[in-house]
Amino acid sequence: MSDQSRLAISARLEEVRHACDFVVEAAERAGLDERAVYHCQMAVDETLTNIIEHGYHYQGDDHEIEVICQAQTRQFLITITDDSPAFNPLEHDAPDPAAALDDREPGGWGIYFIRRLMDDVDYARVGNRNHLILAKNLPEPAGLPTPPGDDAFPVRQLDNHAAVITPSRRLDSNTSPRLETVLNGQLGTGNMWLFVDMVGVEYIASSGLKVLVAVWRRARESSGDVVLCGLQPRLIEIFEMVGFDMLFDVHPDLDTALATRPTP
Amino acid sequence: MAMEINASEMKRVQLFEVVGRVDSNNANELGAELDSKVDDGKTNLVLDLSGVEYMSSAGLREMVRVLKRVKRSGGDLRVASPSDRVKEVLELAGLDTIFEVYPTQVEAVGSF
Repeated sequence: MSDQSRLAISARLEEVRHACDFVVEAAERAGLDERAVYHCQMAVDETLTNIIEHGYHYQGDDHEIEVICQAQTRQFLITITDDSPAFNPLEHDAPDPAAALDDREPGGWGIYFIRRLMDDVDYARVGNRNHLILAKNLPEPAGLPTPPGDDAFPVRQLDNHAAVITPSRRLDSNTSPRLETVLNGQLGTGNMWLFVDMVGVEYIASSGLKVLVAVWRRARESSGDVVLCGLQPRLIEIFEMVGFDMLFDVHPDLDTALATRPTP
Repeated sequence: MAMEINASEMKRVQLFEVVGRVDSNNANELGAELDSKVDDGKTNLVLDLSGVEYMSSAGLREMVRVLKRVKRSGGDLRVASPSDRVKEVLELAGLDTIFEVYPTQVEAVGSF
């Protein structure tokens, strides 16, 4: 199932608003909620503004930027193409939101928001055009329980009531409920020792932290445990900030973590 | 609707009620409006965002620029009643700790 619509605007700031309206309408039609629609609008606004400002230096009246919206099964995709010089926003460092007022970069925030607001961002140079693909996850269809072994959270069964779960990329408000379902599903089948290998996790939001604590409590009640390993330095920093390093058994890698498992 | 700014002068505070959409097409107007009062020596500013349905990084950039400016003169730019969406954007940019944000206009004005 794929609903696709296309809009072309000339590369002028005055036209950005049309593209925003166009994307808002398509995102609403795709079933995104008000917050996700706002995120899409802002990501498109920031993308187009950057292209017009930095790609065409406000001289793009004769150039066309194309915006294509597609509702796929699991994601709403926005593809933006333009013929300004090749520029991959993903290769540029984002400014630091933790910077103090005097140290704040005035620029780069557009790209920062695009990456933070969307679930996936991809870039390609195709012929003489930049293609930026912005993806927002669609809400899970209601009433369908997530099957155990959800693709996004592969589960490997070990002996002695243990399993390894390997989440990847982002544990945010979109993905955390699914992680919780998967982990609770494991506890439900009697796997009280859950080894969560975080090596592929780039980002954890408070929703992800909450899930880990809730599942950890349940596991402890059943004399099991949730053991974490492979945390990237940024995640370790977050864990220390919220005091989770005191709560969880955290190991550098999966092998070290598995060595803590009680022998059968 | 684009953007509208209603400026009013209070005893110790200059209040700006912003309505509509703040984006790359008009953020400089917002900046210019704030600047014109700062030029007159008014550096205690309240930006009431309750009527702002949408703000992009261009609007945030102007807010940060003016904040830096008034801070140098011992003033402040404080924010009143942003929508949940604008609040989220402020938080994402780390600006919720840089701006004093108040739930209502009365509280923001009274904070000076």
